[in-house]
Amino acid sequence: MTVNDVMIPFGDFPVVSKKMILKEALTEMDMANLGLVCIINDKKELIGIITDGDLRRKLLKVQKPFSSFLVDDVLIHSKRDPVTCSSNDDLKYVVEKMGRIQIWDLPVLDNEKKLIGLLHLHPAVKKLLE
Amino acid sequence: MNKKIVKVGYGDVEKIKIGGQNPLVFVGGPCAIENRDHALFMAGAIKKICDKLKIQWIYKSCYDKDCRSSPKSFHGVGIEKGLEILSEVRRLYKVPVVSDFSDPSWADLTGEVCDLVQVPAYLCRQTSILRAAARTNKPILLKKGQFMSPWNMKNSCRKLESFGNEKIILTERGTFMGYNMLVNDMTSFPIMASTGYPVCYDATHSIQLPTSMGNISGGQREFIPYLVRSAVANGINLLFMEVHDNPAKALSDSNTVLDLKYLENILYQAKKLHQIRIEILNKLGDDNVHPTNP
Repeated sequence: MTVNDVMIPFGDFPVVSKKMILKEALTEMDMANLGLVCIINDKKELIGIITDGDLRRKLLKVQKPFSSFLVDDVLIHSKRDPVTCSSNDDLKYVVEKMGRIQIWDLPVLDNEKKLIGLLHLHPAVKKLLE
Repeated sequence: MNKKIVKVGYGDVEKIKIGGQNPLVFVGGPCAIENRDHALFMAGAIKKICDKLKIQWIYKSCYDKDCRSSPKSFHGVGIEKGLEILSEVRRLYKVPVVSDFSDPSWADLTGEVCDLVQVPAYLCRQTSILRAAARTNKPILLKKGQFMSPWNMKNSCRKLESFGNEKIILTERGTFMGYNMLVNDMTSFPIMASTGYPVCYDATHSIQLPTSMGNISGGQREFIPYLVRSAVANGINLLFMEVHDNPAKALSDSNTVLDLKYLENILYQAKKLHQIRIEILNKLGDDNVHPTNP
């Protein structure tokens, strides 16, 4: 069983461009009801991610007015070197890795580093338990 | 912090680079074009001072003052006559010129003549004005509305960028504190500079007390040198001041324009402080004190 069997395909999870502001990224996250948004460049390459946890830490650290925080470029608050996986990776191996590093979502990249999907922990575990 | 360089000047006028570590540039002239002779006189007088101080400058004067408080106030010479006069200023003094425009339909003609087009503060978020300004393909002097936070000016920048123009200069001109009162928030410069675009300080509108005199605006010109020194030390790229040889008789903004006799004094201070600011920058680099986004 591989990541490809259960990943959410591109287009069905929150993705924003690097020029978007934080407010727009949060809206995308909220609409998809996921705790993560991926940021891509014009070539669809993944250049950062933001998670609910990143936002919580930022809110405690960045003490500028909230309206100012919301208009910041999403990229400046993102994690630039996120852990990723490939669609051919073994699902059990990847789920164990997600458990080790305690993350709920993992971006899936193709050979050219382009974002093609997202592995969400719940459906992945469900698939493995079937 | 701002890295983008905006180039102003086409044809045979002086070409000016604004932003980064380029020298401080001055934008000035009478608030409104009053008549041909006065415009040429003022351009000649300002040029003499700027040449003496070796400061590059842009002549500013508007052909239509659409934001007057009173219907009886001078409204301007009109677009046709005004642009004709600005063309003559360009031709005679080889200086770039700027005027604002308050109606989208005036943008194309304004952009044909002016080296820099100005978006008025009250209209800084109007999509139709921003679209028209972008369409001129000229650099844009975008005033920050007195009602706007500096960080929200990014939305106006994004509008201009989406319309294909990335030649933007952001201008601080004071922020409303209650009614009829402006204050200057010096943090607005680094905040606006974080867009990457050059930043400008409009010193004469910043000391304005909007419509404080019943049907016209008042002002506290005595604070101009203090605020100019603060803004230049802060790291601005462009200094904007409206200047008149006889403020009491000025047809527009008579309570806020700088008397021509003080211009050399203020520009001398501004140039010196800007040079010191650049020296500090070269020695210590960009400010990186308690960064929130390391």
